[in-house]
Amino acid sequence: MNNEKNSINIDKDKILIMVNNFPDGLLIVDEKENIELISPSTEYLLKQKKENIVGKNLYRISSSEIDLKPLIKVFKEKEEKNKEEVTLNNLLLEVSSFNFQNNKGRLIIVHDVSRGKLVEKMKTEFVSIAAHQLRTPLSAIKWSLKMILDGDAGEVSKEQKELLEKTYSSNERMIGLINDLLNVTRIEEGRFLYNPEEMQLEEIIINTLKDFEEIIKIKKVDVKFKSKEKQLPPLIIDKEKMTLAIHNLLDNAIKYTVPHKGKINIFLEQKNNDVIFKIEDNGVGIPKDQYERIFSRFFRGDNVIKMETQGSGLGLYTTKNIIESHNGKIWFDSEEGEGTTFYFSIPFKV
Amino acid sequence: MKKVLIIEDDKFLRELLGKKISSLGYSAVLAIDGEDGLEKMKTEKPDIILLDLILPGMNGFEVLEQAKKNPTINETPIIILSNLGQSEDIEKGLRLGAKDFLVKAHFTPQEIVNKIQMFLN
Repeated sequence: MNNEKNSINIDKDKILIMVNNFPDGLLIVDEKENIELISPSTEYLLKQKKENIVGKNLYRISSSEIDLKPLIKVFKEKEEKNKEEVTLNNLLLEVSSFNFQNNKGRLIIVHDVSRGKLVEKMKTEFVSIAAHQLRTPLSAIKWSLKMILDGDAGEVSKEQKELLEKTYSSNERMIGLINDLLNVTRIEEGRFLYNPEEMQLEEIIINTLKDFEEIIKIKKVDVKFKSKEKQLPPLIIDKEKMTLAIHNLLDNAIKYTVPHKGKINIFLEQKNNDVIFKIEDNGVGIPKDQYERIFSRFFRGDNVIKMETQGSGLGLYTTKNIIESHNGKIWFDSEEGEGTTFYFSIPFKV
Repeated sequence: MKKVLIIEDDKFLRELLGKKISSLGYSAVLAIDGEDGLEKMKTEKPDIILLDLILPGMNGFEVLEQAKKNPTINETPIIILSNLGQSEDIEKGLRLGAKDFLVKAHFTPQEIVNKIQMFLN
């Protein structure tokens, strides 16, 4: 008997510690909808002191500073809520309500999402402003250089042409860098999928390969794509993001193989509950001491910096983020001077 | 001669593109903002329209909406030519009736004219 009482006391203690230190507003309401207990954050969110809330009926709480009606209106006796949005005094709140067993009242959680929403909005705005502001002057440079090169502004000497072509490719590089930065911001903006749909990975690979047709021809790289199974299970994919991930892997494979000698093989197969993508090249490989940093932001291998190829150090970082947002995994095998194989796996619904 | 309306607020871009388009056997009509563009759609009756999105005053999406509502011009193909390019923008543009969405920084003037040619044929 004594033991039981003790354990009830301990449980009560635990609940009090939890409530008193909880960052969200918490209200514990009894079966008659009278407020029994609140967390300290509730005082701040409702702009009302504890002693003026505890003991009151849920529908009769008020504050001299703000109007609590929008919040009170959400509640109906015994009705559970899950993250219902309420605007209260310029704050955006998510209100949830859960009934206790045997009609012993309920727990109300008031979660402040204003800051998160604000940051999200600012980031989205930044992306769109950066895209527009940075790309506009670069478009002007691109267009005018191209027109001069095309002879639209009169004849261009061979020497001038060479210089202008180099300027043009530097500018293209800048445009590419901005795209990479925007992609990173966009990926980081939400680790959620923007537009998930059921589709075959194969379809994305075939489409992405089309973007590289020209460069494959110029570099004379031998690219092959094989699917082991006739029909792999479809995956839930964000098409735009997955295209970007595969684009980055293919781009690296092509960039870091020697012209005329490059061999790239892409495979798809099913293993347990995953579809596995594999891209194998016979390129320059990754130095062993740099394995750990390969997926970090702005990282580029020592050996590829020496090759003077363009790169922002964001491709694999972005790719990893995308694969992980599809609940997948990414890894690689590499031997410096021999080649690299990147793999990723995406689970399918059973 | 086929007529191309360019709605672009950046003077330099507008004139460059106008020059290229004229040199390739089209007639280029220039509009400096959305209001001007809508007006010229009605008076100039272009065969195709290049539309920027970020414009002073009325933005490109609004121009697109207005144009599609007007029975005298809603058949004219509109190509969005903007430096926005997030999937939300692209989807919105196509949903509102644009034929294509080109990111300025990704296309050369010649490539833009090739697109125009494609839609006019």
